[in-house]
Amino acid sequence: MSESSPSRAITAVELHPLGGLSTERAREVAARLSRRIGASCRLAEPANGHALLLPGRDQADADALLAALEADPPEDAVRLGVTAQDLAIPIFTFVFGRARSGGQAALVSLARLDPAFYGLPSDEDTLIGRTVRESLHELGHVAELPHCERPECLMRFAGSVEKADLRGALFCEACAARLPDWLRAGRPDQNW
Amino acid sequence: MKAPLRILVVDDEAIVRDSLGGWFRQDGHTVDTADSAREALRRCEPGRYDIALLDIKMPGMDGLELQSRLMAADPGLTIIMMTAYAAVDTAVRAMKAGAYDYIVKPFDPDDLSLLVKRAAEQRSLRAENQRLKQSLETASAPPPIVGASPAIKHVLDMVQTVSATEATVLISGESGTGKELVARAIHAASPRRYGPLVVVNCGALPEGILESELFGHEAGAFTGARARHQGKFELADGGAIFLDEVGELSPKVQVELLRVLEDKAVTRLGGRAPVKTDFRVIAATNRDLQERVKAGAFREDLYWRLNVFPLTIPPLRERSEDVRALAEHFLNRFTAAMSRRPIRLSEDAAAALAAYHWPGNVRELQNAIERAVVVTRGDVLETAALPLSVTSGPPRPVSGSLEEVERAHVESVLRETGWNVSQAARVLDVDRATLYNKIRRWNLKRPIDEREQPQPGHNGR
Repeated sequence: MSESSPSRAITAVELHPLGGLSTERAREVAARLSRRIGASCRLAEPANGHALLLPGRDQADADALLAALEADPPEDAVRLGVTAQDLAIPIFTFVFGRARSGGQAALVSLARLDPAFYGLPSDEDTLIGRTVRESLHELGHVAELPHCERPECLMRFAGSVEKADLRGALFCEACAARLPDWLRAGRPDQNW
Repeated sequence: MKAPLRILVVDDEAIVRDSLGGWFRQDGHTVDTADSAREALRRCEPGRYDIALLDIKMPGMDGLELQSRLMAADPGLTIIMMTAYAAVDTAVRAMKAGAYDYIVKPFDPDDLSLLVKRAAEQRSLRAENQRLKQSLETASAPPPIVGASPAIKHVLDMVQTVSATEATVLISGESGTGKELVARAIHAASPRRYGPLVVVNCGALPEGILESELFGHEAGAFTGARARHQGKFELADGGAIFLDEVGELSPKVQVELLRVLEDKAVTRLGGRAPVKTDFRVIAATNRDLQERVKAGAFREDLYWRLNVFPLTIPPLRERSEDVRALAEHFLNRFTAAMSRRPIRLSEDAAAALAAYHWPGNVRELQNAIERAVVVTRGDVLETAALPLSVTSGPPRPVSGSLEEVERAHVESVLRETGWNVSQAARVLDVDRATLYNKIRRWNLKRPIDEREQPQPGHNGR
């Protein structure tokens, strides 16, 4: 169900650093994202404190965070929350990100995109690359794109980081054709 | 993209309904939600949903009770149970009661995605299986048993009764009465119908070849046995074997057959280990097997093994009221096979067919109609198109020596069968070689049928 207002002319993605995300990482994600989409990517002030945790779990409540991001949306931008905290919703053990089809905002967690989470050496470039791709996937849902069956498409569902890496960095031709201008790739040849 | 699924999510917690609803919609599926078992039952009707995800613990009616009611309402519905760790035992009970699978809350996103994908694949395989079974049933359906006489109705009743069982059937009846057709009808209506029906004519093969055909052989078992050969009993595994002319079996093969029937296993010629095989036996004979048992030509123990459910097919002369329906059935079949326009049976021809005594039974009638369709030019089958044997009235009684009587009878049968030696041999209950010997000995000649002569003014083709 779409709740986006047709009168809104989106020209920007407003990145909200959450859950202790460092400014350096927020800037890097914003910079790489700007090069992938038609809209500019601007940084909002970091939010203070940590989000509400799910009862009995050391994970932030993704739906509560998303609802907070969607409240009182700016006229010209889609909000993107990027958090260092692990995210989940009551029925799932975790989520990489969250967005409603046709919603006002998207949310992504770095926690399980970090190679260190799986006991591997930290790799900043891999982490930021995965975060940008996950952000594009969730923003795709905001643009009312459903999951796609094509293996190479960024809109394919991925329930693990391996599958997220396998699905590639680009929207398939059919999904790309449905993207709004603000999400359309600026430089599709760019390797992300 | 794959066909979207129609999913019903039943859970008393709104967060579960909303989260799963949103999640499935992102995959392009159609989702309905229900907050109680009662609401789910109200929504569910046969074919409305592909998959239902049911919470096990709900106030009022629980997931298990709902599962059984939904399965009764829509047997095609795939049910997945959702449960907390503490209730896994209950989920296992649900699977034993027919649920496709269960998933423990909270779900790993990948697990749920895979589970739904597998459930969808299983559904599509089941649907494909159903379609294939249907087309197989259509393609392999035996020709119908035609007739409305009390005699044939009784046979049909018996076929219906015995098909649902595993009982061995012994079909007896004169040549040409349709024993194989009845065997096929029994198999086609039996639970083994998706397995093969392997037909063996026990009277057509010499003993050694028949043994190899029935039981198979290993490579090198005899001269010429280059490779292992599976016998008919092995090929009938999961289905049935039709032993036609079982009364013709030699004493040696009778003993071997008895052992196979008792052990449900065959040992290939030249082999050592018996091979288990699961088959049903339908046997047929045109002989009086009880008489052959009395004469010592057929083993009594084998007779009782085969004669579990005896079924006798009446000769056509005892159900003459079916002759017209059968003739019209064959008429339709042959005109269609020969791409001819429909041909109608004239009243005279129908009366001639009904008056004839049909020693070759339904097979003779079938041949007569096929021949008549070939010679009929218009759209009515007249008496003139029927074989002379049918139209020339009842056979005249003959007198004289035994050989003269025999010769006259052989000539008469050859005439009735249009000099079809195989058919005449079956009617006379002798093998073809014997009949050829008699034809040579008496110098019998096939008469030239006037209707087969070129007509004046035609080129004879």
